[in-house]
Amino acid sequence: MTPQPQPIREWPTWRYIFELARYKPWLYLASGLFASTMFYVFPLIPGLIVRDLLDGLTGAAPLQVDIWALVGLFIGVWFGRHLFILFAVIAEASLHMIINTLLRRNLLAHVLQQPGARALPHSPGEAISRFRNDVESMPEFLSWTIDPIGQAIVMIAGLSTLASIDPLITGAVVIPILITLVIVNIASKRIQRYRQAAREAIGSVTDFLGETFGAVVAIQLAGTHEHVVKHFAARNETRRKAALADLLFSQMLETFTYNSANFGTGILLLVAARAMQGGASTFTVGDFSLFVSYLGWLTIVTSMFGSHLIRYRQTGVSVQRLMGLMTGAPPQKLVEHNPIHILGDLPALPPPPTVSAAPLEMLQVRKLTYRYPGSEKGIGPIDFDLPRGSFTVITGRIGSGKSTLLRVLLGLLPKDSGEILWNGQPIPDPAAFFTPPHSAYTPQAPRLFSESLKDNVLMGLPEDSFDFEAAIRQAVFERDLAELDEGVATLVGTRGVRLSGGQLQRTAAARMFVRQPELLVFDDLSSALDVDTERLLWERAAQHPGQTFLVVSHRRPALRRADQILVLQDGRLEARGTLNDLLASSPEFQRLWAGDFDTQTTHSE
Amino acid sequence: MKSSRRTYASLLREYFRPLWQRALILLLLLLAGIALQLINPVLLSSFIDEAIANAPLQRLLTLAGWFLGLAFLRQIGSVAEAALAADIGLRATNRLRADLVRHCLNLDLAFHNARTPGEMIERIDGDVERLNNFFARFIIDLLGNALLLLGVLVLVWNIHWQLGLTLVGFTFATLLLLNRLRDIGVPLFKKARQADAELYGFIEERLAGTEDIRANGAVAYTMRRLLEYSRRMYRANITADIVSVSVFGVTRVLFLSGTGVALGLGALLYLDGLLTIGAVYLAYRYTEILLQPIEVINRQIQDLQQAGAAVVRIQELLNRPSRIQDTGTTPLPATGPLPIQFEGITFGYIDEDNATGAPLELVLRGLTFELPAGSVTGLLGRTGSGKTTLSRMVFRAYDPTQGAVRLGGQDLRSVPLAEVRRAVAVVTQEIQLFHAALRDNLTLFDPAVPDEKIEQVIRDLGLGEWLNSLPAGLNTILQPGGGGLSAGQAQLLALVRVFLSDPQIVVLDEASSRLDPATEHLLEQAITRLLAGRTAIIIAHRLGTIERVDNVMILERGEIQEFGPRATLAADPASRFAQLLTTGLEEALV
Repeated sequence: MTPQPQPIREWPTWRYIFELARYKPWLYLASGLFASTMFYVFPLIPGLIVRDLLDGLTGAAPLQVDIWALVGLFIGVWFGRHLFILFAVIAEASLHMIINTLLRRNLLAHVLQQPGARALPHSPGEAISRFRNDVESMPEFLSWTIDPIGQAIVMIAGLSTLASIDPLITGAVVIPILITLVIVNIASKRIQRYRQAAREAIGSVTDFLGETFGAVVAIQLAGTHEHVVKHFAARNETRRKAALADLLFSQMLETFTYNSANFGTGILLLVAARAMQGGASTFTVGDFSLFVSYLGWLTIVTSMFGSHLIRYRQTGVSVQRLMGLMTGAPPQKLVEHNPIHILGDLPALPPPPTVSAAPLEMLQVRKLTYRYPGSEKGIGPIDFDLPRGSFTVITGRIGSGKSTLLRVLLGLLPKDSGEILWNGQPIPDPAAFFTPPHSAYTPQAPRLFSESLKDNVLMGLPEDSFDFEAAIRQAVFERDLAELDEGVATLVGTRGVRLSGGQLQRTAAARMFVRQPELLVFDDLSSALDVDTERLLWERAAQHPGQTFLVVSHRRPALRRADQILVLQDGRLEARGTLNDLLASSPEFQRLWAGDFDTQTTHSE
Repeated sequence: MKSSRRTYASLLREYFRPLWQRALILLLLLLAGIALQLINPVLLSSFIDEAIANAPLQRLLTLAGWFLGLAFLRQIGSVAEAALAADIGLRATNRLRADLVRHCLNLDLAFHNARTPGEMIERIDGDVERLNNFFARFIIDLLGNALLLLGVLVLVWNIHWQLGLTLVGFTFATLLLLNRLRDIGVPLFKKARQADAELYGFIEERLAGTEDIRANGAVAYTMRRLLEYSRRMYRANITADIVSVSVFGVTRVLFLSGTGVALGLGALLYLDGLLTIGAVYLAYRYTEILLQPIEVINRQIQDLQQAGAAVVRIQELLNRPSRIQDTGTTPLPATGPLPIQFEGITFGYIDEDNATGAPLELVLRGLTFELPAGSVTGLLGRTGSGKTTLSRMVFRAYDPTQGAVRLGGQDLRSVPLAEVRRAVAVVTQEIQLFHAALRDNLTLFDPAVPDEKIEQVIRDLGLGEWLNSLPAGLNTILQPGGGGLSAGQAQLLALVRVFLSDPQIVVLDEASSRLDPATEHLLEQAITRLLAGRTAIIIAHRLGTIERVDNVMILERGEIQEFGPRATLAADPASRFAQLLTTGLEEALV
């Protein structure tokens, strides 16, 4: 991922982290205080107690208190530490989940604002890895930012304690710690490289699994099962090697840093050998035990410190990937401080506007133009009018620009030029304007979500002020509904009942009808409906004289019902008029009507 | 739990045992590491005692040198141990993954229809991943650390039996407590993971439906739902975290109390002159070491429980038999077109989640017909009329509920499955391309097909120029998702696959998407060649296609509405087919 340049990335990684820390500053500090400082400082205390005990026993420094009091103190200290860890976990886990939620909220809000057609850089499945792994790595690093403070305290306290006992010996044992630090720094780039290779190898395996089970019929017919398994095994083998290289390298570093505690102790033995000789010297047995105990802890702290640098780089990769979802947004949008209501009550949804401030009298489209980036393909310039209560059908061959026209009109694709006028008033931001109660839209392949049928239709509308039943009827769905075992509560979507193509389209239509918009836009609604159902649908639509329809279709029931037909060809408006006009005047429309050439096909299946 | 224990055992037997040599080395490394770990405090202890006893410097330096040398050995050993454990885990899980893929590839289409490729990824890669640790560490760690635990207790007992007794008591109490408290966290974590999964499921679905959400004014509602899912996740995770940290803390404090008591006891024994100061120190260090095996054992057992769900799912998959029994022995004629006969075929899909095996609503109802060898039949009908199901019966994707399908006069159930599949080729609307070499995409990873033959077929289909433009020819890696290929080229590649297999029967689900005229033309020519000398069924979407078929069959709700020679039906104004021709095919096929 790293070589991909991200032009929008104007902030260094730490700016994002800083903004996130400011979101809940007290929680951040509390988490830091409990999780980091106490975590690092506490283990220093038992070492002191044991030293006092040993020195008290050997007579190097007479015991101030009873042995069992020291033991009690020793246990008490550990108990206190675990109490702190409990607080630390609560604070840190809260902080993590709050920051995760904030980031996901900002990401989803931005994606939903994007022109629908190009909201994501890759597939939704790929985006999930960003919503999960990359989001999670942000608060993880955030929590680590306070650790260096705790680590510095430990370093200074620990080393100065050791130095006060014997500065020379301290100097000798600090060396392995320094070497560790240097080596970890040098190696951090390579660690990243190995990690990246390992990740890619995993991706190659899951990729192949997905493709294999998407092509299971072809493989079964080809009878190449064993070859496929062999290929799969080869990719797994690559992954094994990449994973081992990754692990071996980081383990080598890790064990090295960890074991340098032992080296430190070894050096301590060499240096202390002379100092301790005779027992009466200034370096006591208690001092020795304290050294051993501190060195171990200091080394662990040191290796953690070294890994911060690696983490910072990895977090940078995540920031880039997250900003990849925030197309065109300034950096602060990602970390913007928005309320997320993780505790307490969720505020009520604002009531949806039911009546349009400006009921549609006339929608005018003037010289509307759009070209797909980097290609000549697109639409326009196109002009047409939609008077209130009219029924307009857009038709044309596949690829003539019908769906594109709808999307540009609705702001789901950004128009290049042209004007859209609502009752004579220009609409500056179609994307924001063309939502209920002004308009509603059903795409060519509508999506339902894994919720109840009713939730899918209402999508948050209060039931008492919107007529769910009427919408179902207008969508010609009442008979289907009666056949569903659990009626309106039936779970639909990918994890629920699989509706047929036609049922799905009519549910989506009901979702649109229930909002009672001024303008209803269908992209090929009827493509999966049989002729009778379609006729009924348009008949029922006619019973709502206030509604204005804009429909993509090439089927006769819709064309017969139309007040106006727009014929598109290669992105231009080839002809416009009533059915009879066009049958008389437009050769392209005549061909479409007759359907007598190969390119005129349906979208079915 | 009992059955899953047997499952663990069988998984270990199958996938862990072949790696026993590696496992043995791993165990030796682990034991060596433990031994070094135990010697380390002994060296320190004797160092203290000798230093106090005014031993010569040379002696002290030797001890320090030993200490350094052993530390270095331990470092090397622990790297080797980690790498070897990972290697064992990966080898075992990779074999398990391959076995799962092999098993699933052989399962019937009913199984695959009920599952998305995404789910299969999760079941084969995700679930098996959770067993990595089980193979890599479980047995070895449990064994090694139990030995370490015992070893330390014996050593401490050797220093003084009172110390030993204290530690044995505390160790036992800690393990007992662990065992009692362990299960508290498991259901909470399960719940937390479920909340996570639901949140990501929610996000994934919404990301795929941004237009639906925005153009219907449901952005505010969707954002609110996100927060609802996040709140649920927050609560579930915080609860699980608090409980598990508390459990961990309680057991640890209990054990560390034991360490404290042992320390105090050691001090008293020293004052009584029963121990040297070095021995007191040694006992203290040993108690610290004891913490490690206790935690490792705890972690491994916890891990095993979390792996439990994965084991159950894997076993489910492996135990799912194919509904297609491959017991036939009669061969099919090796060459020439084969006639296709349906004799009273009735078929309904079987509910995957329903164990009774009773078919759901019937998709095909009593179909009887014969397609002569070498004939081309156009299949028409509305969506859901059973066209696709009928075409799949031909290559025995499913066995009929009633009746028999015969190819060349042979009941398919009496013919080896491989024979049937070799004889039939299917071209679907959508071709699944692999992110792999072009060659592998065309032969489906069969290395035996010679390059020259593949290249010849590609050139015959008019793709020679395209092939020449590829940087590495047949070895060019196709981009993921078929990127870089037009829909038409992908269709042509699907035909290359079919030509390479040289089938006797072709089932063609005609593409309904529009192609550019040039590709369209190429495709038409290729199909004409493909149909020559083969029995064919075409699920037709275009009038142009219908014109080249010999017979027409119209399906309606799983029954034959009309079947006969195209010319005869077209000439009969009362026929459904003739009506279709006048009203337009378009409205009939939807």
